[in-house]
Amino acid sequence: MLSKILKWINERWPLTTVIRWSLEEEMPGGTSYAYIFGSCVLIVFLFQVITGVWQLLYFVPTTDRGYESLNYLRTEIPFGWLIHGLHYWGASAMIILVGLHLSQVYIWGAYKNPRQLTWLIGVGNLLLTLALGFTGPILPWDERGYWEAEVAVSSAGTAPFLGTVARNLLAGGTALGQMTVSRFFFLHVAILPGILMAFVILHLVAFRKFGISGPWDEAKRKLTGLFWPDQVFKDGVAVTLIFMALIGLSAYRPPLYSGPLDVLETFYVPKPEWYFLFFYQTLKAFHGVFEPIGTIGIPLLITLLLIFLPFYDRSPERNPGRRVTAMVCYAIFVTWVITMAILGYYSKPEASTSGAPVATEATQAVSSSAGDPTLQNLEGAKRGGQLVASLGCTACHRVNGQGGVIGPEFTSALLKGKSRQWLITQIRNPKAHFPNSIMPAFISATDQQVNDIVDFLLATAQGKSVAAGRLAKGPSAPPVPAGLPQKTTPTPSVAPGPHGPPQEASFAIGNVELGATIFHQSCESCHGAQGKGKVPNPGSADGTVPPLNPIDPTLFNKNAQTFVNDIDPYIQHGSIPEGPNPVLHMLSFGDSESLTQQMIANVEAYVLHLNGVNRAQITRPGLEPRTFFWLVVVVFGFVLGGFWVWKGRRREKINR
Amino acid sequence: MADNLFFVEPTTSRRGFLKLITNLMIGLVAAVLTVPLVGGLIGSSFRLKKSRWADVGNISSLPLGQPTSMKFPYKTEDAYVRETVTHDVWVIKHSSSELTVFSPICPHLGCHYNWHPDENEFICPCHGSVYALTGKVLGGPAPRALDTLPWKLEKDRLFVEWETFRVGIPQKIRT
Repeated sequence: MLSKILKWINERWPLTTVIRWSLEEEMPGGTSYAYIFGSCVLIVFLFQVITGVWQLLYFVPTTDRGYESLNYLRTEIPFGWLIHGLHYWGASAMIILVGLHLSQVYIWGAYKNPRQLTWLIGVGNLLLTLALGFTGPILPWDERGYWEAEVAVSSAGTAPFLGTVARNLLAGGTALGQMTVSRFFFLHVAILPGILMAFVILHLVAFRKFGISGPWDEAKRKLTGLFWPDQVFKDGVAVTLIFMALIGLSAYRPPLYSGPLDVLETFYVPKPEWYFLFFYQTLKAFHGVFEPIGTIGIPLLITLLLIFLPFYDRSPERNPGRRVTAMVCYAIFVTWVITMAILGYYSKPEASTSGAPVATEATQAVSSSAGDPTLQNLEGAKRGGQLVASLGCTACHRVNGQGGVIGPEFTSALLKGKSRQWLITQIRNPKAHFPNSIMPAFISATDQQVNDIVDFLLATAQGKSVAAGRLAKGPSAPPVPAGLPQKTTPTPSVAPGPHGPPQEASFAIGNVELGATIFHQSCESCHGAQGKGKVPNPGSADGTVPPLNPIDPTLFNKNAQTFVNDIDPYIQHGSIPEGPNPVLHMLSFGDSESLTQQMIANVEAYVLHLNGVNRAQITRPGLEPRTFFWLVVVVFGFVLGGFWVWKGRRREKINR
Repeated sequence: MADNLFFVEPTTSRRGFLKLITNLMIGLVAAVLTVPLVGGLIGSSFRLKKSRWADVGNISSLPLGQPTSMKFPYKTEDAYVRETVTHDVWVIKHSSSELTVFSPICPHLGCHYNWHPDENEFICPCHGSVYALTGKVLGGPAPRALDTLPWKLEKDRLFVEWETFRVGIPQKIRT
């Protein structure tokens, strides 16, 4: 039956001929594990095509939903973690294998006559593979993707003469945006893989025409092997091991969640994928007018050297022992790539852009204004003293020896020379004075309240001691009547707990490391290092600021989304602790926009991490990643091992 | 022949063994790769969407015994898309605490039907299904009565659990 069907097809399409053509090859010098790389690249490329196409079921290339759609695939779709993991790690594997394949061809001198065209197509495949490896990570438009696009587009912009044209064409506009994502998507899923597929076929045809170059030693060439099954078996062993390694990496080293894109985030250190680190590190050496040498010149030079290799190295000699120059060049190149990659991996940004607002504000503030502290309204100053506590200023600023340390202490040295207007601006719009300030803009406070606080600050500047309301008193002190009617307090209600629903941040999967940095800057002064702190909060029922590590059990949840929904309202809307007169309030970081939604998402990922919950929890894994990996290992081992044993016994029986 | 290349008869030769084990390895890799592909294809195809309670509005001013279409904003969560869309329901107030809430979707083929006060009937413009005030089918191709939705009252505010059902079949099955 089968042979009938085959016959029918063969009469109409040369199936057997094509299969024979692709499998039947005499291999001079026999088979070798040195020849596996080409087949491995081909198979991993097929994996990439399949897993890439499958991701299109879920991923959308848009600036606002790219990251979320990818995360939906990774956490909510059965085996979505594996599809994405295979694709992510497959890219790395492909680049390593292409590098090994190229090295083998170079060392064996296989690019020489008559295989020049095979080599040229191969260089094209290398460039296409690198281009795919570059465009892929841009697509989710998360922190990592955005900055990679920025670097790509800016690099294109440094090209002489055509820089602006190249830049704008690549970005699809004068600035990065939706058109940029669309263009990189177009390249990554249609143009580049399409050309690569065609090139792979051309490469194979060229390869089949002359076969392998084999050993350079004539004596060793006498022995011959067959491509099928001898070499394919070796290729198969390698592919099987690579496939299992890719599953293992997907299970144990899932791709990073770099956090939702936030261009305001200054803590993120953009670094390329490992395979471009050598180039990233090299670029650092070129400044100013020399920059195009790094961004355009070096890649162009390497490409040209590769393309013309079979044309300037025309000697038929293939023995590496007699090609000293070629081998020295190779060693230098490989050393350069590896050294730069390692340096790039461990490099740190030269200067911290985030900085410590405390120091700069304090120093700049003293010299910045020649204000005239007019006559104080002492009543106002007294009310201001109360407000400094009730509005939450003391969460960050120290007054009379109490309060947080994240902002500068209110001392006469700090405040001397400040005008009323300067102080009002500082309260209403802190970034007007200090662009990097993390102080929330108190836009919801009334003019009267701000004036009172300014009165208090001006009095402090003159060294007058105005009782700072509740601060001077212990937690047991009776409530001090607030200077203003409750209605005008900006905190909408004095009932404890947060007021309002979770916001946007609660849906985004943040980055734990970025979250830790933001936590350190904005949260640590009250919640303590790593959220463990027992920072005193006089006047609150607990007496301390609630620690976050471990967090209040009523907020904790094993389910990451539920956990985030529990804590998000506190970070968004703030809250007033229970108790007669809590000095420290949870600030409304979201409502006041002192943290962006993306920053809050990162902080939430960190707080979950502190409590042993993974924000990027896979809710529907299909099968737990690690279980799946070991299951695959066992199945492969059992089936192949079993087959080996069975075959051995059979052979023994026949021999007997 | 090509079939000799692939479908090797169990021989004891070294090449026969290599062919078999190579085919086995390739087969295993392909089989394992199929697992995530099938998982990805199935995805959330069989997962019921979560229904949510929505604040439909104040019913204190609604006329008694007369269907009123009430529009309300509804936060949808469709895979990774979170949006607020406008939905509507038909509300019939029987007393200050007794209501009937109909889904606005015709159980025949999913069109939006209308209330015709002159005929005292709900009529679907698509295929002419006719329903009584109680939701009962009076005529046309509709396979079942109008779908009611769960509701609750908090003081005078009506909350409805927005659900959708499969259309075109006699059973009321959630989608």
